[in-house]
Amino acid sequence: MSVRIALAGNPNSGKTTLFNALTGSNQFVGNWPGVTVEKKEGKLKGYPDVTVMDLPGIYSLSPYTLEEVVARNYLLGEHPDVILNIVDGTNLERNLYLTTQLMELGIPVVMAVNMLDIVEKNGDQIYIDKLSEQLGCKAIQISALKGKGIKEAADLAVRAVSQKQAVVHKFDKKVEEALSDIESALGNEIPEDQKRFFAIKLFERDDKIAGQMKKVPDVESIIAKVEESMDDDSESIITNERYVYISSVIGKCLKKAKRGELSLSDKIDQIVTNRFLALPIFAIVMWIVYYISVTSVGTIATDWTNDVLFGEIIPPAIENVLVSVGCAEWLQGLILDGIVGGVGAVLGFVPQMLVLFLFLAFLESCGYMARIAFIMDRIFRKFGLSGKSFIPMLIGTGCGVPGVMASRTIENDRDRKMTIMTTTFVPCGAKLPIIALIAGALFGGASWVAPSAYFVGIGAIICSGIILKKTKMFAGDPAPFVMELPAYHMPTVGNVLRSMWERGWSFIKKAGTIILLSAIVLWFLQGYGFGPDGFGAVELEDSILAAIGNTFAWVFTPLGWTQGGEGWKMAVAAVTGLIAKENVVTTFGILFGFAEVAEDGVEIWGNLAGCMTAAAGYSFLVFNLLCAPCFAAMGAIKREMNNAKWFWFAIGYQCGLAYCVSLIIYQIGTLLSGGQVNILGLIVAALMIAAFIWLLLRPNRDDGKLRVNMKGMAGA
Amino acid sequence: MALAMASIGEKRVITKLHGKDDIIRHLQDLGFTPGSEVQVLGQNLAGMILMVKGVRVALSRGLANKIMVD
Repeated sequence: MSVRIALAGNPNSGKTTLFNALTGSNQFVGNWPGVTVEKKEGKLKGYPDVTVMDLPGIYSLSPYTLEEVVARNYLLGEHPDVILNIVDGTNLERNLYLTTQLMELGIPVVMAVNMLDIVEKNGDQIYIDKLSEQLGCKAIQISALKGKGIKEAADLAVRAVSQKQAVVHKFDKKVEEALSDIESALGNEIPEDQKRFFAIKLFERDDKIAGQMKKVPDVESIIAKVEESMDDDSESIITNERYVYISSVIGKCLKKAKRGELSLSDKIDQIVTNRFLALPIFAIVMWIVYYISVTSVGTIATDWTNDVLFGEIIPPAIENVLVSVGCAEWLQGLILDGIVGGVGAVLGFVPQMLVLFLFLAFLESCGYMARIAFIMDRIFRKFGLSGKSFIPMLIGTGCGVPGVMASRTIENDRDRKMTIMTTTFVPCGAKLPIIALIAGALFGGASWVAPSAYFVGIGAIICSGIILKKTKMFAGDPAPFVMELPAYHMPTVGNVLRSMWERGWSFIKKAGTIILLSAIVLWFLQGYGFGPDGFGAVELEDSILAAIGNTFAWVFTPLGWTQGGEGWKMAVAAVTGLIAKENVVTTFGILFGFAEVAEDGVEIWGNLAGCMTAAAGYSFLVFNLLCAPCFAAMGAIKREMNNAKWFWFAIGYQCGLAYCVSLIIYQIGTLLSGGQVNILGLIVAALMIAAFIWLLLRPNRDDGKLRVNMKGMAGA
Repeated sequence: MALAMASIGEKRVITKLHGKDDIIRHLQDLGFTPGSEVQVLGQNLAGMILMVKGVRVALSRGLANKIMVD
């Protein structure tokens, strides 16, 4: 008999920690509400036929955000065999509010009161048997983090299957009468044991519940009668009664130790959310993170792997081996120029990404993340986003895919769509190689290039926010900010390292699969073509790749890429970048022959500098930063938008914006640096700047002319 | 009076919530029900940090204006 256990509970109550302990998986555990946005399935250790489902955290069964909808739909629609309700023992009152609702679903509930270690440290006492008896479900105290009581909790859950869940809690008599009237009005489509739940939701006038029913009975008169006699709205009646009931339960089951006025978390908050210090502290934290991971330590690590490991050590070693076994020359070319040159150029950046991921994991798991959202809310609101949009963007500096998914915690549909569209403007880990390449090749490794890339990303988000907010489809105020602030805690070394390694490993895996494949295909396309003697190995300029690149390189002429006569290489690199951003560097590695001359980095950079001016190089960089992200992130955008029209609008907007900004940068940059100016290009750039300024400054809620503009640009 | 006018350290009892249905529902689910005690833990330009039913919640100033306390 197969059994499905669903883990349900408040956000940040330790569901994922317990899930990892129960199933032996390695899901990342963060410390802010909304870390888990999608349900995840695993097998219970030692029980091959028992599956455990980790659900996003919920405060109640009336969903407010999208990830709460995921959880409720699973509980209602999939009807798991048993609910393992994780309750934060340090905060019984608010957590039991959800418990009282879960018990009405007609599914057996087992309660695991978590954070036993902290409860004991605080000196509190929970009488678990009494609690179990009062609520009418099995209950056990556990510490998911320390692994205490985990196995017992799982055993209790498995044994509770197919037991009937009794609802101990009853509402006021008038409410109960109304509920049974509504229950009898429900059709046969609702299973008997779910009737109470549906009746309560209808009584509360939950607008989303109707979507789950074929026939919705008209119960308005029943509700109105109770509201009149109790002088309150139906929803408040239910909420209040639940809390009153919970207080009575807690009075019998919990003995709280006396505590000082302010906890350590409150003291930290007084500093980091202080009226004057909040923003400076935040700026310093961010500066430290990116200074270390992008500019100083990260660069040292990258230089070593690129110049020494993939320069002096690996290529000659492989070459020696290949020569000594008498490998065919074309195969040597494929392995050295194609694979080592292409994939190596990407792998060189893994150490740098690992440093960045380490910091992100720390920020996510210490508890500061929710505070950042709070203090940034006021600023983000000025350009039409909510403070919660900052979390996806911060995660997006590591990888855009989880960044886009993290947008689910944003309540307002418009804010969420806008966040999804703009999150990938922030340079992700895979864009770091492009930044390093352009900085090194065209700007002599100038230290301002990397920070400027982040400013371009942030600038694009701010401007997009302002511009889009003024269109009809995004008009309206963002949802007001509400967020639970978890207590700070020191992240465990294991959790931080695991997260760092997992995200880093996915980059390495990508290098070994999609990027390896791209490198091989590119190597073939750049080495073969129709020469004078028919199809065969040809010079680069006669290759298939050159032919393909040349057919659309003209598109990028206004951006300055073709000026050096080798624009097709840039065009090909930008297009392969749509598959994965690492491919941009891989493509250059192959087309400019990085592997052959890898001992002398300056020489390659010279090649690149020879066919692009600084202005063109920066325009190339900006185009790659802002245009549609890689396949994986585009897939995430498609999933989260859940609508083809919105998906194409997002992609079109990103590419259109990238094209315009790059064009402006090249034309104006050429003018300022005294290069050869193209009058037509300059006029177009000036017109675009004027259009941008108009879009930014025009009054609010103008009709969406922008959409028409953007469509034209996307086609370019 | 509105909760937004309370100062740091003060403890007040909620009397009523104003605003749109869905946000009131969410606030109630988080523990901001009439009759509950809230304590102001922090205040800045963005809003307030409050303690309600043993949980720390950050609210924007606009929302704090819609929660009435005695």
